Amino acid sequence: MAPRWKGKTAEAKALAEPMSVIVSKLQTSLIESNAQGLLSGSAVLLEALPEQTELLYRACIGRPVITAEKKNKQWHQLSFEEALYLCSVLKCIKVAGENECAKSDEEMWHYMVAKRVGFPVLFKAYSHLRRKNWVVRAGSQYGADYVAYRYHPAFVHSEYAVLALPDEDGDDGNARLKVWSDYHCTLRLCGSVAKTLLVLHISRNGEDVVSLSSLEHYSVEERIVTRWNPEVSRENQTMIMKK
Amino acid sequence: MMETDASHSFSSDDGVYDCDSGSEGFVEDLVDDELCFASGDIPKLQFRKERSKVRWIEELGMAEVLEKKGKMWITTGISRNGKTYCSIEETLYLAEIGALDVLNVDDTPLPLSDLYAKLAEDREKYGCSWESFEVYRCLKSLGYIVGRHGVAWSMKNVKNKTNADDSVGESCSITDKGNVDDKFITDMFGNMYLGETKPIFDVFPPNSKFRKSSSGDPSFMLCRASVHPPSRQEIEDIETCSGQIPLKFYVVEHGRVSFLSFTKVDLPVLP
Repeated sequence: MAPRWKGKTAEAKALAEPMSVIVSKLQTSLIESNAQGLLSGSAVLLEALPEQTELLYRACIGRPVITAEKKNKQWHQLSFEEALYLCSVLKCIKVAGENECAKSDEEMWHYMVAKRVGFPVLFKAYSHLRRKNWVVRAGSQYGADYVAYRYHPAFVHSEYAVLALPDEDGDDGNARLKVWSDYHCTLRLCGSVAKTLLVLHISRNGEDVVSLSSLEHYSVEERIVTRWNPEVSRENQTMIMKK
Repeated sequence: MMETDASHSFSSDDGVYDCDSGSEGFVEDLVDDELCFASGDIPKLQFRKERSKVRWIEELGMAEVLEKKGKMWITTGISRNGKTYCSIEETLYLAEIGALDVLNVDDTPLPLSDLYAKLAEDREKYGCSWESFEVYRCLKSLGYIVGRHGVAWSMKNVKNKTNADDSVGESCSITDKGNVDDKFITDMFGNMYLGETKPIFDVFPPNSKFRKSSSGDPSFMLCRASVHPPSRQEIEDIETCSGQIPLKFYVVEHGRVSFLSFTKVDLPVLP
């Protein structure tokens, strides 16, 4: 399925300002301002300067918290994945707990792993796609773990509904696609919203889940799962042969 | 920066639902035609005057073709020693559409019910289950050319090919075309283990120029999964043997056949 850009000029605009450039501007700006987030339940709250607010929006990271506070700065709510990505991969924010003392990456990791089932695999999937400069958003609207966009969602429809599956049996969480009806269900849904199902098979390669640093030894295999319709394919075949 | 364009909802996007999007082709069943038959209203196939004749040979688990009528023999049956043999699914398919008279060794007619009974027997004695027959029928009725996986259509040109393929590895049965004349039978059933995830059919696109002696590579191998969807490991094991030929998996539920592919991709690193 080809990318579906929103409007004729969208693709050119995306090329003019690549996602990697936006993210690296955000990174620089957050480092300069010594940005510090606040770990709160299953979110991280981050107060951002106006230019950071703009960059967070354009990078599609976090969502603004609407308040009546009349200040120059704007609060944003980051998901675990987003916060840990900014912290441990881009190294551009610090995150503090209730004692206002910054947590180390490993402390954050432990907190998040304890708080969210299957987090190691989910975070691996998230960071894998983000590192390739795909925009990754929550996928619960589509019954998936994530949806992946080629660029900002204002410019392009998401292409993939993403499921992150642990390769090792016995890893908790994501017991998805174990029976055929799961496939029928997921593919039917993906088809009706014009997305392709992307399954990321994540293998720990024998590493444990104890530390964040072991994550780099995990491997990711990307597979797209599609239904094949023999009737439609036959028509295509005939068309090709006629040409 | 924000680009709001209300006209870009899913329904108004031209071309979104054209056929290459691949996964929505199954939305057709809103009116489930199978439910629409009143009893007595079940369609019958046209009676054929031209019928070919085969003799079922139980020891082979195949039928030997005695008389060929019609063009279907271009894409049906395997040629060995100047004779044509058809598998249980080929025999049953042609018998169902009335294109074939099937005889016993003693030349008495072998009725459809006996052929059905053969598929019903345990352990897939003839290398084909009822479900794989349904898959075969589904593809054949659309004009696809379907052969038993790994069984050469004809022994012409096979010897050279076997030598060339030696590097692929011994564990891969697809290269095992069998160079002894009667070994093909063993191959056919050697490929079959109950419940195992395996390629069952080699599928070629509809092609009026198809020749058994130079079939070329199939457009995909069709695999049967065990009771569960295939695991990543199972898919990978088959891929190791299949080389460049794509795989698809079928699942048959309540007589409805679905085909799925699990294609390894490498998402581009975007700018």
